[in-house]
Amino acid sequence: MNHFTCPQCERDYAYELERCTWCGVELVKHEPGSARIVAITEVRTGSVGHEDVPYWCALAQAADGSKAVVKLDHSASVGSMLSFGADEAVELSVVGILGTGTMGRGLAELLLGRGHRVVWCGRSEGRLAGAKSKLLDRLGRVMDESQITEAASRIITSTGYASLGDCDIVIEAVVEEMSAKKNVLVDAEAHMREDAVLATNTSGLSIDELATVLVRPESFGVLHFFNPATRMRLVETAVGAKTSAATGEYLDAFARSLGKTPVRVAAKPAFAVNRALMPLLNEAVRELEEGVAPAESIDEAIRLGLNHPMGPLALSDLIGLDVIVNIMDNLAERTGDETYAPRPTLRRLVAEGKLGRKTGEGFYDYRT
Amino acid sequence: MPAFVIGVGKTRFGPTSKTIPQLAQEAIVDALRDAEIAPEDLDAIIVGNFLGGPNEQQLHLNSVVAGLFPGLNLPSWRTEAACASGGVAIHQAVLSLSRYETVLVVGVERMSNVVGMELTRNIGMAGDVVLDQLEGLNFPASYALVARSHMAEYGTTTRDFELVSLKNHENANKNPKAHFYLKRVTQSDIDAGATVAAPLRLFDCCPVSDGAAAAIVSSKPLDARSVRILASAVSSDVISLDQRSTCTSFAAARDAARRAYAEAGIGPSDVSLAEVHDCFTIAEIIAMEDLGLAAPGEATALIRAGETRIDGRIPVNASGGLKAGGHAIGATGVGQVYEIVNQLRGEAGTRQIADARVGLAHNVGGVGGTCSVHLLRGAR
Repeated sequence: MNHFTCPQCERDYAYELERCTWCGVELVKHEPGSARIVAITEVRTGSVGHEDVPYWCALAQAADGSKAVVKLDHSASVGSMLSFGADEAVELSVVGILGTGTMGRGLAELLLGRGHRVVWCGRSEGRLAGAKSKLLDRLGRVMDESQITEAASRIITSTGYASLGDCDIVIEAVVEEMSAKKNVLVDAEAHMREDAVLATNTSGLSIDELATVLVRPESFGVLHFFNPATRMRLVETAVGAKTSAATGEYLDAFARSLGKTPVRVAAKPAFAVNRALMPLLNEAVRELEEGVAPAESIDEAIRLGLNHPMGPLALSDLIGLDVIVNIMDNLAERTGDETYAPRPTLRRLVAEGKLGRKTGEGFYDYRT
Repeated sequence: MPAFVIGVGKTRFGPTSKTIPQLAQEAIVDALRDAEIAPEDLDAIIVGNFLGGPNEQQLHLNSVVAGLFPGLNLPSWRTEAACASGGVAIHQAVLSLSRYETVLVVGVERMSNVVGMELTRNIGMAGDVVLDQLEGLNFPASYALVARSHMAEYGTTTRDFELVSLKNHENANKNPKAHFYLKRVTQSDIDAGATVAAPLRLFDCCPVSDGAAAAIVSSKPLDARSVRILASAVSSDVISLDQRSTCTSFAAARDAARRAYAEAGIGPSDVSLAEVHDCFTIAEIIAMEDLGLAAPGEATALIRAGETRIDGRIPVNASGGLKAGGHAIGATGVGQVYEIVNQLRGEAGTRQIADARVGLAHNVGGVGGTCSVHLLRGAR
């Protein structure tokens, strides 16, 4: 619905351009809050990204004459009004990130790209500097120098937690271990505003157990992002026994504001995705142990047979074998079902320091 | 610089397992034989194609087509303007006559290798990625909004759409190279058609076709069968319906028509037949109005009176159009020229229009984002 007008010649542009093609004058942004439907169609043919039919496409015209096509999940009549702004104008926040690992870095990249300010907490200056330099390097693939400089100015890094006092939401993404997570959550909460929300990116730990150390468990919930955070569209959201309804709604809305699709799941071990994924990965390792086929063949069969983009063993290497062993141990412990426990081969590889791509070796050798 | 079409060729439009090189070669050989010239007589090649990238993972199609002429090393390039790729390629051929005497245009498209939602998405790439694609405005939906607007403004009815569909299917039954040559479409078929994007139903929509068409354009006529290109015009407009002040008419089409009539020094009343871009039935109605063949809102009167049939006062889409002749996207604009050349030569068989003197080809990209208009006159 937004459009951009030249204050001099009044030509109107639908694209977010800086200047008028004719006058070279800076354009003025217009954001009509509402528009009247002038035509509408019920669409029964789906396409990629629009699989669920029917849906409706309305052509709406604002009082200033500007138009927009809007996708609706319900019918509406010509002449009725549509409101905009609510989900279009993203409230820019200050977001705290706890952790400098892959997920912490991915979150920083995602948030900076969406215009947010980031307070990034890590264990040491060295880790933070390393992570920030990798992050800026990543941003350099999608931003020019002046944009990187601007984005970098929106990051505060800190080994302490005092700066978290500015944050509207803090996302914890430290190592997947109960005690480590509890420690940083306690410290972070102590410095946060009372109205701020604290979220954990845990993939398998009990949220209620984590919440026991907090003063405000009502403001605590799960935002489970997937790697790489900039590209994966899913965020699993979950709430604990003490989480308030308002916090739960905020988590969903925040995920949506980042362009993600939140799926609300119960706070059961490993949630929806990893609960289904871990047995698949573990079973592929068992196939390898039983000599069903070599690693390459198992991966090829599953890629082609299930139309997965990547085989389970290659995926395990990508995620990190230590990470999946952790999740599997948690699953086995919390469900009391030993079939979730990691296969001996997984334990052996982790013991040998072969954690997958990040160490150069796992089920496959990446060093050559 | 005068321009003539000295040879034309075309494959059948419709589903096939033939590859892009096979389809292109079939149309090209057909055109070379029609002109009775050899590959060595060509000076340049222009390839019209839209979806080679997303459908086939094949770009650089001018070089692919060069593979049909090993050793010739002709100047060549590919033209893409969505569904108007073919018409714009013809325009480029006319322009390039200042440097090259004889230019081969080949439009080619493979569609049937990608199906369903993926194909709908790929075709949707002709719309704006933010303004249209993200809002689910695929092509049927765009033209459905155009149809709704036209109905509201002029009282056009879905019965008018059905008449266009019935006529074009009837014409296609006389065109052995049409997608639906062998398919009889009756009122009961139309009645049974599912809604695609309301009010448009299955038989309001053109099919997706594979196919190729070729035209050899030259600055010198070859013989009495050469057809003069009186005018070649291309115009463009903002890509999305969002950006337009009206969606019951396409400014690019009106502008291209105005330029073409001015260049040819003739008016709409001089046109004996038109091949227009009826990707949806509503598009044929709007095309007639944009081209001045009818006043705004009055194309339906001609359609209801049967004046756009082959034996009518102004036959439209004697080939069956895109609706029933098929829409092999990059080939469509070239295929329109193929039909008009055949009509102007009096070689159109059972669908021959009596006294065909001046033909008009109207090829649209997207929802009116690009439009080419060509006016051709036969030697007769």
